[in-house]
Amino acid sequence: MKLNIKKLLALLIVSLLVLVGCGSNGGDTPSGENGDEKYLIYLITMDQMDQHWVNLSKGAEAAANELGNVEFKWVAPDVKDDAKQIEAINNAISAGADAILLAANGPDAVTSALQEAQAEGIKILYVDSPANFPAEQTLATDNKAAGKTAGEELIAALTAKGVTEGDIGIISTNPSTDSTNNRIAGFLEAFEGTGYTVLEPQYRDGDPVRSQDAAQNFLTSGVVGLFGANEGSTVGVGNAIAAESSEVIAVGFDYSDNIKELLLDGTLLASMVQNPEVMGSEGIKSAVKILKGETLDVEVFDTGVTVTTKENAQ
Amino acid sequence: MGYIKNSIHRIRNTRGIGQVITVTFGLVIMLIAFSFINPVFFSQRNVNNLLRQIAPILLIGIGQSYVLITGNIDLSIGSVIGMSAMVSATLMSHNVAPIVAMLVALSGALFIGFLNGFLVVKGKLPPFIATLGTMTIARGIAQIVNGNYNTNSIGEHAQGFREFFYYGKTFGIYNTVVIAIVVWFIFNFVLRRTRIGRYIYAIGSNVEASRLSGINVLSTTVVVYVVSALCASLVGFIQVGSAGMGAMDAGNGYEMFAVAASVIGGVSTLGGQGLLVGTVIGAAIWAVLENGLQFAGAPIAIRNIVIGIIVIVSVLLDVVLRRRTTKASIKN
Repeated sequence: MKLNIKKLLALLIVSLLVLVGCGSNGGDTPSGENGDEKYLIYLITMDQMDQHWVNLSKGAEAAANELGNVEFKWVAPDVKDDAKQIEAINNAISAGADAILLAANGPDAVTSALQEAQAEGIKILYVDSPANFPAEQTLATDNKAAGKTAGEELIAALTAKGVTEGDIGIISTNPSTDSTNNRIAGFLEAFEGTGYTVLEPQYRDGDPVRSQDAAQNFLTSGVVGLFGANEGSTVGVGNAIAAESSEVIAVGFDYSDNIKELLLDGTLLASMVQNPEVMGSEGIKSAVKILKGETLDVEVFDTGVTVTTKENAQ
Repeated sequence: MGYIKNSIHRIRNTRGIGQVITVTFGLVIMLIAFSFINPVFFSQRNVNNLLRQIAPILLIGIGQSYVLITGNIDLSIGSVIGMSAMVSATLMSHNVAPIVAMLVALSGALFIGFLNGFLVVKGKLPPFIATLGTMTIARGIAQIVNGNYNTNSIGEHAQGFREFFYYGKTFGIYNTVVIAIVVWFIFNFVLRRTRIGRYIYAIGSNVEASRLSGINVLSTTVVVYVVSALCASLVGFIQVGSAGMGAMDAGNGYEMFAVAASVIGGVSTLGGQGLLVGTVIGAAIWAVLENGLQFAGAPIAIRNIVIGIIVIVSVLLDVVLRRRTTKASIKN
């Protein structure tokens, strides 16, 4: 038995050495022979499947083609995974990237990989989701501002209908998600000083079915307006209203096939849709600016939301 | 007269009835309190909705109670819900007939149930581990079946499916509730009045003694896990019916709702004890709290804290009461 453990240890050490050897070899790959003309910019997203990332990459690619002096590459893990995203960053470093646009999977996991990238002189910009590491710029949706827009849309529609008071219900994911909390904070801000009462938000983990139950309860209690703070919550809100053929006005967040249907048949008034293409295209433009030695005007670039309704749903 | 006395005696001597009575009182107090806080709570409309909100918790509670009574646990319930939902919704969104989609999803779910029972008895895996494994596998299947996306709408051709599982009514009661009631009656009968029901209790009380007295532990355990998977699969269909789509996260965490409903209702996690009547009360308490606290305007944290307290107190009460009766009977 003892012998076996010794053998195992030896094997482990040998394989570790081999791995380390490979790693340092990889790091020595020649980099950036054409530093002044064509910039090599990497986009690293959380995965490659989500339509959101596909759109982000399309925006970036369009900007890269437009500028002409950019070689653009999109890489991402097959599934959301911290370790795989770190690998992707390391690969970009060894490929000699000039800049990285990163949608960080988590705020902390990638920081040491980013440190390494920065030490190599690579410029880092965040798109969609920042990490806890200083970067040139963050291009993302300002969730608070977007939530406020949602609130304003709802107030405008209610006022147009002649409803100036009553209860408003909110369905959200869970109390520990920053993005949805900020959306709710903005939404509440829009309702300050109005005659409406916003009820305690209901958290159903973005599960469309449980969100529907909660929305149903709100309808029973006689709310005049509803807000879904993410995709699943919005689908739940829409399904509850459709099931009861209710006249209650509702706004939501995000976009999917199901939300599109609910917008088109008039169940939902509007949904706040993020602009990943803008994140991509503006991200590339900002990166090139920095690489040329120019300074950026803002540290945080709000890519805004598109208020999507029956008229512009596609 | 003697008949009534006899039946009261029989009810009092049913193992586990004590906790059922205690939590029923708790439920009644809760109902009264909520209707005072907000009269809408007892409106016809909310009662209908509330019953429909209880139904899925009751269904998975029945399955989990079966498993718990044999002294095992099923952690795969939530994922089986997700898998059934995603498999059936994916097929329906590609224009497969709902009945075919259901059968495919159901056979997948039942296979997971079979695997659970087989691994626990033949593989001698601790049920916690075996079902943790199948939980992860089933969730993975739920994610991969539509290429890591939630499904699109299941379409017009599945309107009947949606009516059957969620939106339709039978005798003025939502079909979801009717399904739960029918399933409850069947499995309550099986548990209380059939041989296999007796075996389920016996295995939970003492698995070795059961084996030695000739009970087929493997087939009985497989049956309870298959029942649990069947119930979970039905909840998956209800969810697809309600949302009109399949969500990869569907049913996430539901296995613990099922444990809570069973345990609050007096089902012992150590096995050998529990009544499906109790599971009804446990499921009702869970759903009434979620519904009632929303009407009362309380933050979600309150629900979580209250549920936690109820789980602990209801089981603690039972333990204390049982210790007393045991002492009393020893004295006698």
